[in-house]
Amino acid sequence: MLIEVLIVGVMVGAIYSLVTIGYSMVYGILKLMNFAHGDVYIFGALLCYTLLAQFHLNAILAVVLAAVAGGLLASLVEFIAYRRLRAAQHRMISMITALGAAYVIQNSSELKWGNQVQSFPSLFPADHIVIMGSQVSVTHIFTLIIAVVVIVAFNLFLKYHKAGKAILCVSEDIPTSSLMGIPINKTISVVYFLGGVFGVLGGVLYSASYNAISISMGFRGTIIAFTAAVIGGIGSMGGALIGGMILGLSENLISVYVSSSYKDPITFLILIGILLIRPTGILGRTEAGKV
Amino acid sequence: MEKDAGSLIQNNSSKSAVVRRILITGICAAAILGLPLVVQNTYYIGIANFMIIYTILCMGLNLILGYTGLLSLGHAAFYGIGGYVTAILMTRHGFSFLPALLISGILAMIFGMILGIPTRKVRGDYFCLLTIAFGEIFRLVAQAWIPFTGGAMGIVAIPIPKIFNWVIRSEVDFYYLGLILVGFTWLSLTLLIGSRFGRAFVAIREDDLAASVMGINTPMYKILAFSIGSFYAGLAGSYLAVYQTTITPSSFRLEESCLMIIMVIVGGMGGMLAPISGVIIMTLATEAFRSLAEYRMLIIGVIMVVVLLFRPQGLFGTAAFKD
Repeated sequence: MLIEVLIVGVMVGAIYSLVTIGYSMVYGILKLMNFAHGDVYIFGALLCYTLLAQFHLNAILAVVLAAVAGGLLASLVEFIAYRRLRAAQHRMISMITALGAAYVIQNSSELKWGNQVQSFPSLFPADHIVIMGSQVSVTHIFTLIIAVVVIVAFNLFLKYHKAGKAILCVSEDIPTSSLMGIPINKTISVVYFLGGVFGVLGGVLYSASYNAISISMGFRGTIIAFTAAVIGGIGSMGGALIGGMILGLSENLISVYVSSSYKDPITFLILIGILLIRPTGILGRTEAGKV
Repeated sequence: MEKDAGSLIQNNSSKSAVVRRILITGICAAAILGLPLVVQNTYYIGIANFMIIYTILCMGLNLILGYTGLLSLGHAAFYGIGGYVTAILMTRHGFSFLPALLISGILAMIFGMILGIPTRKVRGDYFCLLTIAFGEIFRLVAQAWIPFTGGAMGIVAIPIPKIFNWVIRSEVDFYYLGLILVGFTWLSLTLLIGSRFGRAFVAIREDDLAASVMGINTPMYKILAFSIGSFYAGLAGSYLAVYQTTITPSSFRLEESCLMIIMVIVGGMGGMLAPISGVIIMTLATEAFRSLAEYRMLIIGVIMVVVLLFRPQGLFGTAAFKD
């Protein structure tokens, strides 16, 4: 029993890490709470659902299309609602436009797909394998592998690819990067695009492993990404991984051993606790305030 | 600050401005008081009653957002605390309305104080996140704790409120009850802003750091602003409970908090009466599109983006956002 719970927890944790990476990256660069993140991811996942269930597309093609659409939507939101405000007087302004953008996407998706829970088709065979005496679904294994591969690939991209290095530079210091000839606007668009892509991937994997999708998962996704990013240390890749894992595991342990209706309140309590005790997160750096 | 002080002095010095001000205030007051005599349709009075609720909420929120610059996205929770306290006291413990109203306000204030304490340590975005978390915990617990809060079905059959011999039953009765509450809110907040405390709030609004250098205990004032703002939210919630006669968790979602924030911003932060224009505009905007109820959040979202892109100081505001 415990091993199964732990394996599911690790899988959910890996998905959360995937969703968190994009979110944390955006925060690391712009110091902007992207409230629209979860709504972008649920938009992509719902699009994938339609492509699979109505158009019977090949699974890989559907996921890729949905992820690209999500990425484009995320960059569009950045372009419309955030870019003009980057130099704005106060960060709160872009936070509120972010919320506004989130509601626009959420409401538009609701008009298209309704607010009911729909059954998401499985992407993997419904087999089980036995690990250390407990049955583990193949879906969970595949999901875990995909999430880990994507996270590792993204880290390699950041370290070795030119565009990846540009992202790291911009997150260090925007004015200096711009002086060094890094195209800031383009890099930020890429960051949002990738954030959207990873978000949609995470959303699709999550919906596929639970066979369910609904619009309300969007806001929850934003909060999960927030919480995981804050727990691990916002802006840090390793932190996103740790935060996602902690949330995935704790959530599953709580819903099995306590009650699933207290799963979300306890997630929020963890968030409050972390904010009070160590607001910079486990791997985060403290920043000195400027006057 | 300078602008405010300047306009105050001007008003004091020139008599015609004072007369004009009194005249405008008088006409507005007469129009507001006489509204139910002119408008017979209870549907419109109902809309006015919701405007009253949001006015109380936004005046309190304005103290938090406009004066101390804390972005609270958990205001709906205090509103909800007020609603549930009144509902539980009146249905299960036989309280009459006035004590329930008072206790609702005070309990909301206590929770506001508790949530305000972390402002010492948790800043900016993180504080905003903290308020979201608080608001969501409140709503989720209200949904899950069925024996105490009635779960998603909420608490029904809240008794008709009675103040001395005045039985408040019709829409018009509630309209006047609401006006009394708005009057109380406005008066008490005006007195507060005019006092020593108020000047400290204005100083914090103008420059947090400079205020603390001048010896103002900024953390204490922020907690104070938070608890006072929450007190009014508790009153509004209590009013909502008796007005609707039912209370459900869905009235206190994050969207409500966002709506209040955007009302304050559209009206303009920092002024005493400016949020009212935001309340009126946003309520009318959402009412006008009532037939398109499913577009409600879409419209609110678009307004949020457009207003902040083009006029972040609001329509009638003096204070823009500052770091």
